[in-house]
Amino acid sequence: MNTQFSVSPENKPIFIALGFTLVIILIGTGYTLITQGAAPMLMPSYLAQQLQIGAFLGVCAAGMMMVILLGHIDLSIPWTLTAAAMMATTVGGPWAIPAGLAVGLIVGLFNGLGVSVLRIPSMIFTLGVDTALRGLMVAHTGGFAPQTEATPLMRFLAADRVLGIPVALFVWAGVSIAIAGLLSRTGFGKAVYATGAKESAAFLSGIRTKWVIVGAFMISSLCAATAGILLAGYSAKAYQGMGNPYLLPAIAAVVLGGTHILGGRGRYIGTLIGVILIVVLNSVLSIMQMPEAVRQIIYGTVIIGMLLVYGRETTSRN
Amino acid sequence: MTKAKEEIVALRDVSRYFGGITALSGVDFTCHSASVHGILGENGAGKSTLIKILSGVLKPSAGEVLVEGRPVTYSSTAEAVRDGIVCVFQELSLIPDLSVADNIYIDTPPKRFGLIDRRAQRKQAAELLARLNASEVHPDTLIRDLSLSRRQIVEIAKALAKSPKLLILDEATSALTGKDVDTVYALLSDLRADGVASIFISHRMHEVDALCDRLSVFRNGQHIETFDKGERSDAEIVRLMIGREISAQYPPKPKRQPAPPALEVKNLRWENSLKGVNLKVEAGEIHGLGGLDGQGHKELLLAVFGALKGVEGEIKLHDKPFRPTSPAACKKAGLALIPEDRKTEGLMLNLSIRDNLLLPNYAAVSRGPIIDSRRADEAVRDGVTRLQIKAGDTANPVETLSGGNQQKVVIAKWMMLDPDIVLLNDPTRGIDVGTKQEIFRLMRDLASAGKTILFYSTDYAELIGCCDRVSILYDGGVVAVREGDALTEDAIVAASLNLHERGAA
Repeated sequence: MNTQFSVSPENKPIFIALGFTLVIILIGTGYTLITQGAAPMLMPSYLAQQLQIGAFLGVCAAGMMMVILLGHIDLSIPWTLTAAAMMATTVGGPWAIPAGLAVGLIVGLFNGLGVSVLRIPSMIFTLGVDTALRGLMVAHTGGFAPQTEATPLMRFLAADRVLGIPVALFVWAGVSIAIAGLLSRTGFGKAVYATGAKESAAFLSGIRTKWVIVGAFMISSLCAATAGILLAGYSAKAYQGMGNPYLLPAIAAVVLGGTHILGGRGRYIGTLIGVILIVVLNSVLSIMQMPEAVRQIIYGTVIIGMLLVYGRETTSRN
Repeated sequence: MTKAKEEIVALRDVSRYFGGITALSGVDFTCHSASVHGILGENGAGKSTLIKILSGVLKPSAGEVLVEGRPVTYSSTAEAVRDGIVCVFQELSLIPDLSVADNIYIDTPPKRFGLIDRRAQRKQAAELLARLNASEVHPDTLIRDLSLSRRQIVEIAKALAKSPKLLILDEATSALTGKDVDTVYALLSDLRADGVASIFISHRMHEVDALCDRLSVFRNGQHIETFDKGERSDAEIVRLMIGREISAQYPPKPKRQPAPPALEVKNLRWENSLKGVNLKVEAGEIHGLGGLDGQGHKELLLAVFGALKGVEGEIKLHDKPFRPTSPAACKKAGLALIPEDRKTEGLMLNLSIRDNLLLPNYAAVSRGPIIDSRRADEAVRDGVTRLQIKAGDTANPVETLSGGNQQKVVIAKWMMLDPDIVLLNDPTRGIDVGTKQEIFRLMRDLASAGKTILFYSTDYAELIGCCDRVSILYDGGVVAVREGDALTEDAIVAASLNLHERGAA
């Protein structure tokens, strides 16, 4: 009944992910040392630039973690992100960012009510919401790239640097501290874990599980909207399909970081490492100048491979 | 009865360790054919480990297992089943979304041309169910539509389908109601006559007494003693089990003072389960709910606790109308519910003991939205001491605790809120004698402090021993209330069957 490990099962995937990250960095560095005689991956400026791009994914993954902890999933990330970016640039001026965030809150509320009150499986409901949002945005823009531009504040947050550090990293850090604190230091966070572990038991313990679910979905969409605003600032404008590359990596980062895909277990630090792992993997593949097709194949294979390693860990424990 | 019995299984000096913990140490144990062998012991005594080794779930760390004289090492339950060793586990192993027949023949379906012969499967399943006096269960019913008691019967049918030489029943009767328990008794006698051996584990002493030819007592992973039925008195057996004398099993009932009603239920209706329940529970009273399984007890408690939708009728708390809209609202109103199934309704098994204890209590240990970890630590410590939960580290998952200690966690998390009305749904199921006594004592202490207890139990002896009054439910309504000298097993059984109203039907 009892197993004794020096590393708790909860932290094990985190160490594995960390190990993988180091291995990938070593491979990349070895490759560049041999081919170019330099180690760009270990240069602070290069790392900072990579992490700046990683910040968009990091913010998405932070929100995604909330719903995965509940045993749900949010597939509306891509178009929530895009819609928030488009609304922000459309409104412009001082209200650009609040407008973008409001999109996130509304979509999240809608997702949460659909899943918790209507009891529609989140996989279907959020996918439907994603498609509906795409339709709305196509109607709004006429299917072309919007001509509106990001406000200076959005550009500052996404693309500028303070003391040599990209501002986007501060935003990511802020979101991270908020989510990590929420999960470990508040009753709401504990209720998220409990609801994900056993919804019936949490309900009978007097937890308002419906509102926990709604809250988690709102945080997820709010994070996606934040990422959209940042990404629009980074590219100076919003564009169709800008959120598409963020869905799978966000889920992968959360799961690689040790959050149980069926909910109830996981630590935020793991998600953070999961994001870094994916960013590092991407940059090594681009340093190796792999053709896009090969990159996609390797990327997918590595994710599946690492999940296989985890799967074995859990089955051998029982 | 002939005494020429063969050895079916024998353990020789078997030990089993989990990490640093010893679950069984140096156990010698023999079980003969054509016998019913009872195993007694508190939770954590090693009974579950013993049967897991016998049935191939676990391998012994040391020692050997002999089946009909041959040494064996099973690496799966399937291998044990091939040798005729079949186990009915305490944790129900049925798949809720499959039919009864599919579940019974899940691993060995009857086949025709390589495909499952559904007709034969249905017929054989119906025969097995008839043998278990459960012919009203249709083989095509889905498991999730059956009550816990019926599910357990299906579980036993599933084991019988494998034509066992040794049938192991681990707490298999704890979820059963009176009639089904009798069926299982009769079944075990039949099996004994056919030369089949049974190992029977139960926390209900009178069952073990009524049923078994031979008894073995385990304590702390050791085999203490094996003896024939009747060689030892109940008191001696209990002493062997817990290693010390126990005084009275139930705390004394104080003389009941009339008190204002704390909880009043009028004409409560819900779907087909509650058909106008009327109930008045006074402050400072332990009020029992009796009756056969599936007469609406569970629904009544859930309805009062706000967990059901569409409940009609009136509920009053201390003479004030109250609408239980959700468990969260009931928690605020001072209600607490200890649910029926601690594994799915009471606990988050893979979360830590600490998180489970704190779950309903975060509002009390937080400043604003932020948890005050010092107050949380204190609350956890208080909870653990108050119910004497035996836990090494409260950061461990709650599933590492024994059944009795898990139940204590469920109770402790509610006690931390200091509830005014406590609803208990069969809280002693599958729990050792020592923990049961602690729960009874706690209930009496709470009642003496003016709290109100509504207590459902499938064990009539508990109702009689603990309760000031008992309401008996039949078909979704209260048919009788008994107290004082009128509170006897006969009275409860008679009322459970609703005999006086329907005559001697």
